Amino acid sequence: MNILNIGDIINIVRYMAEIIIDNEKYFNQLDSFTGDGDCGSSLGKGFKVIIEKWGGIPKTNIGAFLRGCGMMITENCGGASGPIWGAAFMNASRYAKEKTELNLNEISEMMKCAVDGIQKIGKAGLGDKTLLDALIPSVKSLEQSCELKDDIPLAMKKSAAAAVAGAEKTKELVAMKGRASYLGERSLGHPDAGATAVGVIFTGVSKKFMKD
Amino acid sequence: MKKIINCVQDVVIEMCNGLVKACPEQIEFIEKYKIIKKKVLNKNKVTLISGGGSGHEPAHAGYVGTGMLDAAVCGDMFASPSIIQVYNAILQTRSEKGTLLIIKNYSGDCMNFDSAADMAQEEGVKIEKVYVNDDVAVQDSLHTVGRRGVAGTIFVHKIAGVAAENGMDLLQVKAIAERVIDNVRSIGFALTSCTVPANGTPTFDLPDNEIEFGVGIHGEPGIARETIKTADEIAEKMVALIVKDLPFKPEDEAALMINGLGGTPIQELYILNNSVHNSVKKRGIQIYKTYVGNYMTSIDMAGASVTLLKLDNELKELLDSPVEIPASKFI
Repeated sequence: MNILNIGDIINIVRYMAEIIIDNEKYFNQLDSFTGDGDCGSSLGKGFKVIIEKWGGIPKTNIGAFLRGCGMMITENCGGASGPIWGAAFMNASRYAKEKTELNLNEISEMMKCAVDGIQKIGKAGLGDKTLLDALIPSVKSLEQSCELKDDIPLAMKKSAAAAVAGAEKTKELVAMKGRASYLGERSLGHPDAGATAVGVIFTGVSKKFMKD
Repeated sequence: MKKIINCVQDVVIEMCNGLVKACPEQIEFIEKYKIIKKKVLNKNKVTLISGGGSGHEPAHAGYVGTGMLDAAVCGDMFASPSIIQVYNAILQTRSEKGTLLIIKNYSGDCMNFDSAADMAQEEGVKIEKVYVNDDVAVQDSLHTVGRRGVAGTIFVHKIAGVAAENGMDLLQVKAIAERVIDNVRSIGFALTSCTVPANGTPTFDLPDNEIEFGVGIHGEPGIARETIKTADEIAEKMVALIVKDLPFKPEDEAALMINGLGGTPIQELYILNNSVHNSVKKRGIQIYKTYVGNYMTSIDMAGASVTLLKLDNELKELLDSPVEIPASKFI
């Protein structure tokens, strides 16, 4: 399988929403060691609205669909998650525009745009102990898959593994952004909740995608 | 979890409705965007808007009224309100003299309020912003998100609020707000964590003989866990840090706030005030005015914060002015 069409992208976002909603309590728990315990609820809120208003989201092309989701996330996700995840979706939608299918190179470019969107609004980088520490390795993995000419399911699997590994590494980082940064050295030893959530979501999506 | 509650998802809405029912002549609730705003706006003065996550009551909705805020935007528990919520608050309280946003320095609040301000500016609203970062627990650094905005925010609301009420223009009100921010310092400690309704259990556990020092107002751990101290010891430790940070000097005049974090009995706040007064006075600092109570809480966290604001004559006069807000409606 060498392309994702609009139907695939729609399914992927749906899987993301289901995984986020199923893991709300777990993500909250992850966020309580060094945060305020609301990572799951904040994300979940926006994605529940996406499911609720699923019928009304445009599905004519990938850009319009991602933009519709991005707006709902921005409007409904709580706290910092709204702007950050919203920026990811909106920037991805700006790349995708009116395309109705993406090959692996285009998927990789689109994910890079998503990361750029997050960095622009959140001003964090690799090593600051944020969700970027899972996302940036996962995007690097997609780039490698492009060079190796992996098919898409394999690329997704490898990318998810890279996200999980990146999230695990955040245990060794002192948080420089977000609420965990107030704890300084005490943030060591706990993985970042946002990065871990990205690992869980990407792994779940990759598995579900392969099943269907 | 034992709380006075109906459904977890209705906490913020029911709380806002309950607040309005206590002061129906003064404030109203825009449920769609979870905004508490003054019923009757004065379009000839600078509009003041603040807000943030819920869970800090009476902050911020309790400070909507004459002499303080025109609107408070209520996010979910401990989560910043969304861009759309803040944007609508700005549009619905638009005045002839522009809008000042009082933003507590947290990533979520900064992102959402900043983006909302950009959107509203495109609609022609004149906007200025100030960021409150009074907590000294965290060292400020270029590489981090900076210091948290905590109880000192209340002084910004009041002093800037009265300045706006007195007819100052947008840049003047902003300058006064920034002067308060530059001269206010706080630090807090916790005897327990807090329980967020959606989670049902305390965010962290704290043994009986330990405290968290240098806590914020969102239930996260502090900068250090220590064995419990006496009121005098904790007061001395907190005052020493605050005084050194600004620094406050002998002969300086200051306003003092002993702020309960929600779960501490008033009697303990008065005991803390007694100890803090001693620590402040022995450093030669004159306490001009003292405030004791729950001003910026963390749901049901047991603990308190101490805030000192260095005053000059203009700030004293503004601070002395009466205000009419739900939070001061005792009797």
